[in-house]
Amino acid sequence: MPRRLAIALPAALLLTVALSQMTLARTAYLSPWKGGGFGMFASVDGLPFRWVRLYVSAPARSEELAIPASLEDQAHRVVTWPHRRALEGLARAVIARERRNQRPVAAVRVEIWRADVSRMLDVSEKLVREITFHDDEVDPARDR
Amino acid sequence: MKWTPRGIVDRLADEGTPLRLTLLILLLRPPGAGAVRGLTWLAAGLALVFPALTRFAGTWLVLSGLVLARLVLDWPLSDNHIYLLGYWCLGVGLCLLVTSPFAAIADMSRWLVGSAFLCAIIWKGLLTPDFLDARFFRVTLVTDERFADLARAVGGLSDTQLATNRAALVALPQGAELLDGPVLVEPPALQRLGLALTWGGFILEALVAAAFLSRWPSALHRARHALLIAFVGVTYAVAPVAGFGWLLAAMGLSQTAPPQHTIRVAYLGAFVLVLVYAETPIIHLVLSGMSG
Repeated sequence: MPRRLAIALPAALLLTVALSQMTLARTAYLSPWKGGGFGMFASVDGLPFRWVRLYVSAPARSEELAIPASLEDQAHRVVTWPHRRALEGLARAVIARERRNQRPVAAVRVEIWRADVSRMLDVSEKLVREITFHDDEVDPARDR
Repeated sequence: MKWTPRGIVDRLADEGTPLRLTLLILLLRPPGAGAVRGLTWLAAGLALVFPALTRFAGTWLVLSGLVLARLVLDWPLSDNHIYLLGYWCLGVGLCLLVTSPFAAIADMSRWLVGSAFLCAIIWKGLLTPDFLDARFFRVTLVTDERFADLARAVGGLSDTQLATNRAALVALPQGAELLDGPVLVEPPALQRLGLALTWGGFILEALVAAAFLSRWPSALHRARHALLIAFVGVTYAVAPVAGFGWLLAAMGLSQTAPPQHTIRVAYLGAFVLVLVYAETPIIHLVLSGMSG
């Protein structure tokens, strides 16, 4: 093992991961607090200031769902980095859960919101990302 | 061992101590659950009991693999110090494979600490718009329960004002405004506290980054241990991330030479201090006493 490699590799890894995290945070809504970029305590844009809203619709149904306890962990992951696959994964999980509970579901809308804090400390809601996922997009074998 | 103060320090803080402290961190703050938790406890526990395993590169490479597994399983929710813990374990493992391993660990640790603080100040100084203007701490002092004691004791907020301020900082739909809604109250002391936390923290972190990454100016470089110890001692009294404080103390300690008795004792003291902050209600009691 070359000595210089042993000394430099950990810091090089740290900087590579941090640079990737900074890029994802700037371009893909990854929270500054997470992902190995050391952006904690740098911005209000952390978990308490991000949240998810779920809407379920069916021919005789249209309502907002509270996040079920069984999906809380997944919801935290989605609001921390709300990329398309994560949103779809959450929508699939909601549809699967509704089916298990024998409730009608035709589509699920997932909305990711965050609090926008002005210099005057006025706090307003800002929609970060949303998708609508339809029942027929669910693969029954995969989404149980 | 000589039973003199210096002899005791030499025994307590030898070159293997940073490694033992890291093993202790892994035991005190293991991954959330599952097999990774059990394996981490097993590997760290065995290495703590058997000194030969503490200095065996394989132990640390396995531990870095377990930390990596934890990062993957928890992605993207892990705190940043878990990443630092992973790099540190990897670095210790690699350095134990080379000649003069503890000198290599000291160099590796210096680069790691400096790089982590560099990233932190890049975030605070360049990438977020809401840190340097003190917005982050003004909001956090009001909304984060973990900072409530500080907001009361030093910021001068009453319980009623704290509750009203929290209501005033609830997000409203864009463009909406409440008729006769709660109004944010910021006593001058709270504003000063927000500014002090913002700029005090930023300047201290920038100094730590510069002191560890650069040997110039030499006075700053020589002061790096004092800066890091001050950072740990102050920050983790408030910030609820004991694992980060412990890790920085262990990494700082690894960069000291045997004659630096005072600095070694100070790092050990910082480690214990963070333990006291995290595991006792002392900060709560002190701040509650201050706010009456």
